[in-house]
Amino acid sequence: MKQDAIGAAMTRRQLLAMIGTCAGSAAMYQAMTSLGFAADSSFKGPTQLSAAPAGASVLILGAGIAGMVAAYELRKAGYRVQVLEYNARAGGRNWTLRGGDRYVELGGAAQECRFDPGLYINPGPWRLSHHHRGMLHYCKLLGVALEPFIQTNYQALVHNSRAFGGVPQRYRTVRADYQGHVAELLAKAAHAKALDDTVSTEDQERLLASLKAWGALDSNYRYAKGLTSSEVRGYDVSPGGGLSARPVYSEPVQLSEVVGSALWQGMLLAENYDMQMTMFQPVGGMGMVGQAFARELGPLIRYNAKVIDIAQDERGVSVTFEDTSQSMSRQTAHADWCVCTIPLSILGQIPMKVGAPLADAIAAVPYAASVKVGLQFKRRFWEEDEQIYGGITFTDLPISNISYPNYGFFSSGKGVLLGGYLFGLAAAEFTAMSPQERVAKAVEYGSRIHPQYPAEFENGISVAWHRSPFTLGCFGMWTEEARAKHYDNLCAIDGRIVLAGEHASYMPAWQEGALTSAVDAIDRLHRRALGASS
Amino acid sequence: MTGVAHLRKPAVRVVMAALLALAAGSAQPDTSKGVFGLFGVGHLESTSGEVIYQQICQGCHMPDGRGAAGAGRYPALAGDRALLSAQFMAVTLIEGRRDMPAFGGKSQEGFSYMVPTLDDEQIAAVTNYVRTHFGNQFKGTISAAEVKALRRPH
Repeated sequence: MKQDAIGAAMTRRQLLAMIGTCAGSAAMYQAMTSLGFAADSSFKGPTQLSAAPAGASVLILGAGIAGMVAAYELRKAGYRVQVLEYNARAGGRNWTLRGGDRYVELGGAAQECRFDPGLYINPGPWRLSHHHRGMLHYCKLLGVALEPFIQTNYQALVHNSRAFGGVPQRYRTVRADYQGHVAELLAKAAHAKALDDTVSTEDQERLLASLKAWGALDSNYRYAKGLTSSEVRGYDVSPGGGLSARPVYSEPVQLSEVVGSALWQGMLLAENYDMQMTMFQPVGGMGMVGQAFARELGPLIRYNAKVIDIAQDERGVSVTFEDTSQSMSRQTAHADWCVCTIPLSILGQIPMKVGAPLADAIAAVPYAASVKVGLQFKRRFWEEDEQIYGGITFTDLPISNISYPNYGFFSSGKGVLLGGYLFGLAAAEFTAMSPQERVAKAVEYGSRIHPQYPAEFENGISVAWHRSPFTLGCFGMWTEEARAKHYDNLCAIDGRIVLAGEHASYMPAWQEGALTSAVDAIDRLHRRALGASS
Repeated sequence: MTGVAHLRKPAVRVVMAALLALAAGSAQPDTSKGVFGLFGVGHLESTSGEVIYQQICQGCHMPDGRGAAGAGRYPALAGDRALLSAQFMAVTLIEGRRDMPAFGGKSQEGFSYMVPTLDDEQIAAVTNYVRTHFGNQFKGTISAAEVKALRRPH
């Protein structure tokens, strides 16, 4: 914690905000408190478009979440709808890999998923917030069953290879110790009258009472070994019944170790607006959503269609595509209007008859690297040996995350972990590896957290998003500068074409962003269509 | 909370929200202050053009430098006439180009944790490597000082 964070310059509001967010540095503090901006999803209930102009048609490019929401709603309004999809399946990044699936990445490396029945990983999105109302709405509508996604598990681990001798720590103890020491420090500051200039005596009394409870401080406002702290951070020997279970209190870790280890960072994600519990996941994998949409839309979706040209004039839109399943036979689809959800990484390479503002916007957004690795083990050792039921372990190792399955608890068979979810340099390096190397590396790194890995590992699969043939990246990275200059142009209707997708939202990489962008786009397109026909 | 909410802009918030990167660039290892981050972007140590290519570039441009094609494509660097100009390649690395991220450490607010950065020496090294491998035999080299001169002032 920076020196000035406890200095006299803070207002009470800032002080309390800091307590509430456990911020550990000025930057983190700012980032976390910016959650004050948070508002619910822009989804305002089921879309209700009025009747479409007679005979009007819409061509939708891409059968991901945005494209299929658009198709569903536009068909309902009476439009003639056709969807062109590059893949042989629907969903786009909404995708689940299960045993028997085959995935060929850019460069030609093929992987066969060898997971046992019922086991899976979601290479793309994997969790839904309780306030992602659009996604929840369509899951309910389409009969996609949801179950809890466990974002926070106090029994899971936080790990810094350069702290605590590389030994993983329990989320529970790190959280308790961090909170306890912060509370003790603030109490000390109050007792030393360091807060007198900014916090009234009355409020300081209330603050002290709250710190004592929140930080598990003893009667002297110390965070120390004893019943109070052990009730939060856990015991060396937990209390039980009878003669054999006299509790033994645990020793809190010192402040310098807690702060110096940076492990407090492992607690912050779950505080984030979009990741606060309750979260959900579809039973059977995130791909169940895409599959449900595909069933609903049926023959409206044309698969294996690679778009190679997008043209428009005052009468309509013409999209030329190659059927990749039929030796690239070339065809052209026509419609009055077009909703284009193709990722900008790809769209920027497709000849497209649009104005300079939209063309410039399409070219302004680089795509992020990200990698996920799924690992199958002979048994669920994280449950059997360590009582970790779902949730996420965070580490400074390149794998960044180990996520335990939030389903199938206590089952005696095999289990699949998310063995890595990588960003930054680690993602770039893993992308540059062969799929087999990625899996081997994930096992190697994971072994430093769970020594059971080598003996229990069976097989794995990896998806590096920059090697994905249908996205060429994970998601669009809007800078504030680019957004200020191009975002409105990207979303604006150009003639008869409107874009939708996570790239046309303020929620990068979230399905809710893709969904709400589609709802917004078709509403505007519909009004344009009504205007044009009247 | 509104009193402090203006400190960060909404665009950064949603980026934070969408991803695992926890500190939006602030968590990069900073050993000089005795603090190191759990979730830093990481920094590639090597100054070998070959190593940099193999650890970053080949993710998209492929180990043989021939690129790849799916719904879209990654351009081949092998035989790419645009590489006639070492400056062009170096600027592309620094600034990024369309869907390709900027590796020059150009401020990408909210995304500093997403893209590894290469320094002048590394950019020069990998530029010189690509222009003389994969069948490329372009004349001349670029130095770190020349790369530095290509950077736009912030």
